[in-house]
Amino acid sequence: MTAISPRRYVDQFRRIFQDPILAISLIVVTVFLLLAVVLPILAMIGESTSPEGRPLFAHYLGTSTYQTIISNTVVMGLVVATVGTALGFLFAYVQVKVKAPFKRFMHIVALIPIISPPFAVATATIVLFGRNGLISKGIFGVRYNIYGLHGLTLVLALSYFTVVYLNLKGMMQALDPALEEAATNLGASKWRIFRTVTVPMLIPGLLSSFLLLFVESIADLGNPLVMGGNYEVLSTRIYISVIGLYDTTAAAVFSVILLVPSLTVFIVQRYWIGRMSVVSVTGKPTGTPQLITNRWVRWPLFGLTMFITLLIILIYATIFIGAFTRVVGVNNDFTLDHFDFVINGYGSAAMTDTTTLAAVATPLAGLLGMLLAFLVVRKEFLGRSALDFAGMLGIAVPGTILGIGFLLVFNNPIQLTLPFGGAEPLTITLIPKLTGGRAILGGALAIVIVYIVRSVPAALRAGVAALTQIDPAIEEASISLGADNARTFRKITLPLIRPAFLSGLIYAFARSMTSLSAIVFLTTPQTKIMTHQILNEVENGRFGNAFAYCVILILIVLVAISILYLTVGSTTGAERTLEGGA
Amino acid sequence: MKKRLPVLLILVLLFVIAPVGAQENTLTVLCTPQEDWCVAMTQAFEAETGIATSYVRMSSGESLARLRATADNPEFSVWWGGPADAFIAATEEGLLDQYFSPNAEVIPDQQKDPDGYWTGVYVGALGFCSNVEILDELGIDPPTSWQDLLDPALQGNVAMAHPATSGTAFTAFWTNVTLAADALEREAMEADGMSEEEIEEAMAAGEYTGAGYDEEGFPTEDAIDRAFEYFAQLHQNILQYTRSGSAPGRMAGAGEIAVAIIFSHDCVKLQVEGFEDILVTTFPEEGTGYEIGGMGIIAGGPEPEAARIWYDWALTPEAQAIGATVNSLQLPTNPDTPVPELSVNLEEVNLVNYNFVAAGMNRTAMAERFDQEIAPQPTE
Repeated sequence: MTAISPRRYVDQFRRIFQDPILAISLIVVTVFLLLAVVLPILAMIGESTSPEGRPLFAHYLGTSTYQTIISNTVVMGLVVATVGTALGFLFAYVQVKVKAPFKRFMHIVALIPIISPPFAVATATIVLFGRNGLISKGIFGVRYNIYGLHGLTLVLALSYFTVVYLNLKGMMQALDPALEEAATNLGASKWRIFRTVTVPMLIPGLLSSFLLLFVESIADLGNPLVMGGNYEVLSTRIYISVIGLYDTTAAAVFSVILLVPSLTVFIVQRYWIGRMSVVSVTGKPTGTPQLITNRWVRWPLFGLTMFITLLIILIYATIFIGAFTRVVGVNNDFTLDHFDFVINGYGSAAMTDTTTLAAVATPLAGLLGMLLAFLVVRKEFLGRSALDFAGMLGIAVPGTILGIGFLLVFNNPIQLTLPFGGAEPLTITLIPKLTGGRAILGGALAIVIVYIVRSVPAALRAGVAALTQIDPAIEEASISLGADNARTFRKITLPLIRPAFLSGLIYAFARSMTSLSAIVFLTTPQTKIMTHQILNEVENGRFGNAFAYCVILILIVLVAISILYLTVGSTTGAERTLEGGA
Repeated sequence: MKKRLPVLLILVLLFVIAPVGAQENTLTVLCTPQEDWCVAMTQAFEAETGIATSYVRMSSGESLARLRATADNPEFSVWWGGPADAFIAATEEGLLDQYFSPNAEVIPDQQKDPDGYWTGVYVGALGFCSNVEILDELGIDPPTSWQDLLDPALQGNVAMAHPATSGTAFTAFWTNVTLAADALEREAMEADGMSEEEIEEAMAAGEYTGAGYDEEGFPTEDAIDRAFEYFAQLHQNILQYTRSGSAPGRMAGAGEIAVAIIFSHDCVKLQVEGFEDILVTTFPEEGTGYEIGGMGIIAGGPEPEAARIWYDWALTPEAQAIGATVNSLQLPTNPDTPVPELSVNLEEVNLVNYNFVAAGMNRTAMAERFDQEIAPQPTE
């Protein structure tokens, strides 16, 4: 890259600021990310390096007890990432490359974990495979100890492998079959092709899936709380520090220790793996891929995938049945009490609060993500990649850390006291109190913001992926025909990236409805959140109520997805043209 | 569609804002006992007074932490339930307001604060809640002493809550501090050559040597260290520390563990609710701790008047009888309240000489030490 003179930066900004709407967008996006993402993280780091925090680093890093907790966290991340990536790969491989029955069925089942709160899986797993589990004890007669690393691995891998599956499936479908055909023609065996052609081309995808799972699992809070047993990890330490002792300094120190591997992985993924593109996908794949028909390969792979598919079904069936059963395995009477508790009892507030807040956050996150994608892909300005990076931080940073950051920054109103104004200095409240007691809107605003922050990255990536495929010439044509930037974005860009926008919205809603770690410190008496209530029920052993909550939560997400499809998904001409004509 | 979106958004926002605007005639209760009791109490209060009442359930350590964190701007007006230790700790930190309720006069003196910062609403003893099926498989009898819990056969089969979050667990902890202090005293007296009878007399009169109790009658550092040694050993048998005190009882009922260290009334509640053949309640013969469930007005809370109305109401026999309707069978503090048949009779249980003030003063430091020294340790 050649050196760019400062003049050029000024010019870039001048060009953006010529268009007021573009300028406002840029400012809004930047200010939002600074306040809602960067500031909380910086505050947390600041707290951890305060005079009280610094000795804690030495203590935690130097004591063997805490070293064990740190290594537990990392080991759990690595094991879950390995198992989860393998699972995702298996499902994708069978789906794309193997001739097998029931593919559609397995595909749909593999999607289920996305729309359910993760600890639903943990709870059902305890019911099925716990010490007194329906299967472990009921069928095999073993008092199996599911608590600990192996149980966590099972639960976390099943909860998070869907993303890997979808990623790898997409990549495999995009691979040009010509390469494998060429290898076959040159006399390579299927195994050799798998080893030397397929896998190497997927390495970037495998690595980034691995890293994504690593980050997700070390950030997870619900599952280690419910079935960690004596396997202590950092996220549960952070949780106890805050809720049991309200020691935000200790929590901040643990958070920074947790942030180091998370951010490292994120940066490695972004700047190293992001660039090691082994295969270049140019245009459409030519020809249809050869499916594997060798029965010694085909049936074992199919069997394994089907086994896991059935396991997932079993788990979700347990949730569903458990919601209507008094105490699964102990007293199997049918009951509607759990639903009564959730719908008519004190759970109803949580239901409406959560849905409303997620519904408010979803379109905002979608728009923000698309706007951010547009700015990042289409415009050139100083700090563009920093903006992109800040947008992605919402997912790179564990939720608990964001929550603590919010407590540190927004627990008091941010005020500006003007130096003049006579006896009583004029105080302007820039940002009202967002978290804790008597926060504005009962803390709802803080939760909406957190939902947005956590959802923007997915919308942003979807938007970036969609925009890079659309020739800017289409937009340029619109501009030269006299439309301004806003009109072009609205009339041309947005319709073209509508599918990406839709998937961004769906993801945002599902993510918001199911997120726990980020909001666990932000709920207030006025604002109750379903995932938090589920955690309460699970922790108190009232699994029936928890299952009823889960069923209702899954239903709400499904209904919302349908509504989104019906409203946003309706195709206009532009999109169809793009699909048909490209 | 596009044009309607902003309108829709505004409507949704209004929907969120609306309930917050209505601040009058409301009460926000910080509720520590089990969820269904909280529901029954707030509903009954609302029906009685017309005050729109909402609550949040938090374990008592959690409540204390939350009150401390929001002291400048409390979100709750009254705190109802959970061991008095936490209320004493909160009083120490200035988190509670004094209030002498006219209805508190009938409450026995040892079940309320002389300075009016908290009043007892129920009493209950700590016990062991065991799953007899699992114990059978392990080939052991229900535990009848704290030492029984250290049986290697119980490895990974005992659960209790974390003393930082749970008042139940803290009661269990402080019970062992008290037992250790008693033991140290007896050892010192024996070393002084006192006879068995003299020792009993001195213990009853509170004439201590200083080995287990200091001049104020507070357990000494040695006693506390000894209790920590006990919990370090017990840790090897603990499956996990839950957040809420009663949760281990459910784990025992579901057969995930053999023994739960919980309040005996929480075990009775489970027995009544479907685990009668599975769970059994026992008590440690060395002595067990007990709780006085407290109630206090939160200093600077948003609804001070409604809080007092609640306070007065919660001490009436009618309000105290609500617990039994949801199988929360703690003993009521108001002597006019009928005692539920299934309640544990405290006179039949060997209770330790539980010093609530000492417990309350030490609560935060002990919880922190437990969280540092015991909870994160690996087990075999």
